[in-house]
Amino acid sequence: MNLTTNKDLGGFLAQELIKQSEHDAAVTPMDTVLDAARAGKFSADQCFRLLARLWTLKRTMYYVYGGWAQGINLNEYPPSVAYLFGKQIYDESTHEMQFCDEILRRRWVRTQKQLFAHPYAQFGTATRTGSYIFCLRALANYPQNVRIAALNLGPKVIELAWTEKFAKTFPDEAIHALFHSQLAETRSHVLMGRFQVERFLQKEVDTELAKRLCAETRRDYLFYLEESARFVLGMQEEKAGEVSVSGDID
Amino acid sequence: MAGLKIAHDKCTECRMCYVVCREININAVVVSPTSQHLLEIDERCIYPKCTVCLMYCPAEGSIVETDTGRSLVPPPPEVWTENQRWPRQ
Repeated sequence: MNLTTNKDLGGFLAQELIKQSEHDAAVTPMDTVLDAARAGKFSADQCFRLLARLWTLKRTMYYVYGGWAQGINLNEYPPSVAYLFGKQIYDESTHEMQFCDEILRRRWVRTQKQLFAHPYAQFGTATRTGSYIFCLRALANYPQNVRIAALNLGPKVIELAWTEKFAKTFPDEAIHALFHSQLAETRSHVLMGRFQVERFLQKEVDTELAKRLCAETRRDYLFYLEESARFVLGMQEEKAGEVSVSGDID
Repeated sequence: MAGLKIAHDKCTECRMCYVVCREININAVVVSPTSQHLLEIDERCIYPKCTVCLMYCPAEGSIVETDTGRSLVPPPPEVWTENQRWPRQ
């Protein structure tokens, strides 16, 4: 039987979300970081900044998944959904450890405790990173199939795309290897997302919700990437625009 | 007879093949009874009639054709078909 029947909402949705995310992933702020590295304009300090920002995001995912885990009710989904969720947490943890290991190996800081306290690795609440993380955490109130659609077929697709580019051409051998080693797991998260959406997202209301949430998480993740790229390259931070309200509003 | 096997030097043990094979009740991917608990594909596999594990495997080269040793991840076009991938009710 063909996957794309009218009843197959999940299949259509997965295709649509992946397509939209791949479109967003074609060019991201991380391209500028990679271009600078390839042009030999990337200092050790900038490399430290890059790994520290990536580490910060990965470690705060524990906070997100902690909230989500409370929302998986017994018998609501088959065991495979709980397993895949556990595997995703495990993989993110591995990536977090890799970023930290590389920073310690290069002696940019001497201990993990120092890294937590270092300005490059701070988690700020009023930042793009904070906005993205809190947006994800807020998905704890939604069913697992909807939030997995929002994350794994949104930001994860974008993450996979820029990681692939870094894995191909990042000039530093050790960091190149680090990104390359993460590819299969990140790709696996996208495929896990596709599987769960195809199989367990079959209501029209959930489909519409997933579309909206996926668009929001993609947007917030791109803002996170922009903030990180600016920080890594030492560019001026984005200034919030003034909002003017007309005086004759009733 | 054609069959599939897992190339353990490439496999990341993510278990997606196990999950999707269970999902469609073929149950050909099993956890081996060794201390490493590696995944194996047994005689219940109906490849080439089903290619579902190939569709969801993220690690290039980690599932191969038993007879030829040919890598099937990512699935070559002649192996991948929509209707073989996901038998639905």
